[in-house]
Amino acid sequence: MKKIVFFFEVHQPRRIRYYKANEIGKNHEYFWDDRNAEILNRVSDKCYIPATQMLIDSGIKSSISISGVLLEALLRTRKDVIDKFAEYFDVGGGEIVAETYYHSLSSLWNEPEFKEQVKLDSDLIKTLFNRTPTTLSSDLLIYSNEIGRLAHEMGYKNIIAEGTDRLIKNHDPNYLYSNPYGQNLLLRNYRLSDDVSFRFSNRSWNDYPLYADKYAKWLADAPGDVINLFMDYETFGEHQWKETGIFEFMKALPKEVESRGMEFSTISEIGQSLKPCNTISVPNYTSWADTSRDLSAWLGNDMQRDAFEDLKSLSNCADKETWRYLQTTDHLYYMSLAGVADQEVHSYFNPYGSPYDAYIHFKNIIEDFRLKCFYKKQ
Amino acid sequence: MKVSVLGWELPPSFSGGLGIHTINLFTILSGVMEVVVYVPDFPQLSDHYPFGVTKVNIGELGSPYSTSGDFYDMVLEYNARLVETFDPHTDIIHAHDWITVPAAIKLKKKYDLPLVVTFHSTEYDRSGNFNPQERIMSIEKEGYNRADRVITVSGYTDKILRVLYGGHGNTTVVYNGVSSSIFSNVKKNYSSRSTVLYFGRVTSQKGPTFFVELAKQVLRIVDDVKFIIAGTGDQYWQIKEMVDRFGLGSNFEFTGFVDEASAVKLYRDSDVFVLPAVSEPFGMTVLESMSTGTPTVISKTTGVGEALFNSLKCDFWDVDRMSDYVNSVLKHRPLREILGERGRIEALNFSWERAAIKTLEVYNSL
Repeated sequence: MKKIVFFFEVHQPRRIRYYKANEIGKNHEYFWDDRNAEILNRVSDKCYIPATQMLIDSGIKSSISISGVLLEALLRTRKDVIDKFAEYFDVGGGEIVAETYYHSLSSLWNEPEFKEQVKLDSDLIKTLFNRTPTTLSSDLLIYSNEIGRLAHEMGYKNIIAEGTDRLIKNHDPNYLYSNPYGQNLLLRNYRLSDDVSFRFSNRSWNDYPLYADKYAKWLADAPGDVINLFMDYETFGEHQWKETGIFEFMKALPKEVESRGMEFSTISEIGQSLKPCNTISVPNYTSWADTSRDLSAWLGNDMQRDAFEDLKSLSNCADKETWRYLQTTDHLYYMSLAGVADQEVHSYFNPYGSPYDAYIHFKNIIEDFRLKCFYKKQ
Repeated sequence: MKVSVLGWELPPSFSGGLGIHTINLFTILSGVMEVVVYVPDFPQLSDHYPFGVTKVNIGELGSPYSTSGDFYDMVLEYNARLVETFDPHTDIIHAHDWITVPAAIKLKKKYDLPLVVTFHSTEYDRSGNFNPQERIMSIEKEGYNRADRVITVSGYTDKILRVLYGGHGNTTVVYNGVSSSIFSNVKKNYSSRSTVLYFGRVTSQKGPTFFVELAKQVLRIVDDVKFIIAGTGDQYWQIKEMVDRFGLGSNFEFTGFVDEASAVKLYRDSDVFVLPAVSEPFGMTVLESMSTGTPTVISKTTGVGEALFNSLKCDFWDVDRMSDYVNSVLKHRPLREILGERGRIEALNFSWERAAIKTLEVYNSL
């Protein structure tokens, strides 16, 4: 029976605020917490609560990763969202997947730091949901053999990656693979995923409007054993507003999927029920971001690389917690100067209006943080 | 198709924004249609232009914006002579700014010709919204309301006109071009020398006082920065005095009037260009600076800014934010390079060819 796997990434960064140069050395408050709380409330009401309820009501199994940064923010002000997720994991067939607590790029350069951030996340998951994830999602589907090795060393059985054009030329994403370390490797089917997460409400799209029966037919017609539909959880109600009919679409999906002889499955169930058909090696980093599906959304220009070097240079700082909040990938993403096709997506997410502003505030904060960490006593 | 352009100035007699616009735009348009440009017979006009020019005799006059004598009376005199000189064998009258509006309206009525009026600036901009002249505004308003088509150099200017004079159903924004080859054929070096440039008339409209305030803020954080004020104007001495009063004299350089060759060098050798204009309809200098690869920090009330991605924009009065921008550009090489390189490419999009095509579309819509 063909399996349909939904994986959702749930994350909100702790955004930094407009931080002026004349505050350097005087003000160590970096975060835009009133704005963050406001956004969290909005996303909780428009997406997290109704989307999770929708999954529970319609009996759609899925795998979900939630960043630690978001979990702790929810704990502070929106405990109801945590409870809703817990309900889904307990009775709705949902599965929780591990990631780095700070939704960072630590996997790229600092092995112990990455492992610690993953552990912080899985510890919090254990506390909140009493579960131990067996699947690891390196944030934003960033993956390479190297990350596979790290995940393997931490004992994770399953890992997920982008089915990039280069990869799927020889490896159909609709099968289960293994990586060189013997982990189960699931590849995102980006066309069928993006049909929902990006194109669903696009009126200039040939297939608009997308109804559940049509989509289920595409899923059924696609060759293979497993269709991996990985996307931001905010797709439901936030990127695609309620008014687009996205919730009705999802609610209608189970009937259409089942009537065509398919079923929903979690990532760990796939690992148990299917055998890898082949081993895949991914030497270079891939991700699900932008059209290039690599690291360029975060490290594509000199401002981003400069900011990333700043973060690396601060690894000996005393204030680990602040340093880690600053590692969240969103700060770098806001500095992206992506091409025309992606700029729309980037501007949508950018709270500062321009990548230049994002860089300037980040640099001011880094300067103060550096002073605070290393020169305070002198 | 023939267009009769009611102009005011043409290089080399004077190279203000209007003159540069007129010569560039109509040189291109004269390739596809008949063009005749009317201008006052100022002494330094050239003998030959790539299009027809009719010099209108207005008696004993100096430079086009001479402050000796009454400028307003001179304008009215020019307009009266223009009506007498005008050759009615034409298809369209294209007037520019209030200074040609009185004749344009008379000629439109007399010969029943369609009228296009381009607004390069408004009295609101020129006065820095400080004591605008009623009589000029009423001419401006009449031109705006009587025109069959209105062209503005930015959406910003369109908005000002709408607020001041009510809406005009047929307005098109046509951005100016920049003769980029003059500016972009120079090699830019992004290693910092910490030079901040103000380039333009030293007058309240352009916000030079905010530039001095900004310098004071920047120098609080770094002290080896040079601030250049290039240009002259009615606030020149006031600004010099302000710089001295703040004790910033050793960080400032005043160049006075700058010719084109020196301008290119000034742009190129600066690390950041600042235009804190209170109200600037377009802002050609922004594009010129970008063309040399020099990053720009501009006010939100600078028209061209609305069409730019690679420029740092804030309110003209927000000296805190503006000095933060300047400081950041000086401090961070990646920011300098990316703004510089991307800005240079972005400025290339502003061509006179594009402006000419847009203008032609307006003519064709009549």
